[in-house]
Amino acid sequence: MLTAMDISTSGLIAQRTRLDTIASNIANMSTLRDENGEAQPYQSRHVIFQTTEDIGTSYGAVGVKVASVELDENEPIYRWQPNHPLAIKAGEKKGYVAYPNINLNQEFVDALNATRSYEANIGAIEISKDMGNQTLRIIA
Amino acid sequence: MNPLSLSSLGSLPPGMLQQLNQLTRQGLTTQEFMQPTKSPETDFKSLIMESINQVNDMQQNADVAIETLMTGGDINPAEVLTAIQKADMSFRMMQQIRNKLMDAYREIKEIRI
Repeated sequence: MLTAMDISTSGLIAQRTRLDTIASNIANMSTLRDENGEAQPYQSRHVIFQTTEDIGTSYGAVGVKVASVELDENEPIYRWQPNHPLAIKAGEKKGYVAYPNINLNQEFVDALNATRSYEANIGAIEISKDMGNQTLRIIA
Repeated sequence: MNPLSLSSLGSLPPGMLQQLNQLTRQGLTTQEFMQPTKSPETDFKSLIMESINQVNDMQQNADVAIETLMTGGDINPAEVLTAIQKADMSFRMMQQIRNKLMDAYREIKEIRI
């Protein structure tokens, strides 16, 4: 009964982490430099979940945890801005500026999905809570 | 069923013989089960004390979680609320068991000798 609540809580934490990465993707949709200051357009983050037996029961119910946050490998968007300070100086893309390739539609759908999953986990917790209270009726 | 009657069924398929053997064995275990129970390995007092300690641990976990959240520690609010809810539920469960025990105690106290 209490393990069910722990498992649902692991789901809550996982979905919140997912929403963190989505917020990061939206916030950095026009970021042109990476954390070291290099001219490198932001690459969108994807959070990867995995099952964990640290939270779970002896008979196979398992919780979820964040395995890793991976970078999206897709191509940046090139815009023709020859006077931009970060415009590419030489080569085939000369005069273009590389912008992050963030698909806002996808991010918002993901955000909605994460919110709904969060809600679902809350619902599961509520049910476990109700079950616990109902159990007390046996003795009361 | 005695072994003699079993051996006289030797002409039966071996699988069926096995089934019959299993049936007699099951009957034995049921008889053992019906016999007066031996004294339990753990006594009631230590069982109760153990569960009280568990409830206490949960309360302390909840306290630590609240403190971490309030002092800006690295903890998810969902974790804190779950810890509180778990502590509350286990405490109420223990309280109900305690009430039931006290009821039983009062009942016995009222018995006239």
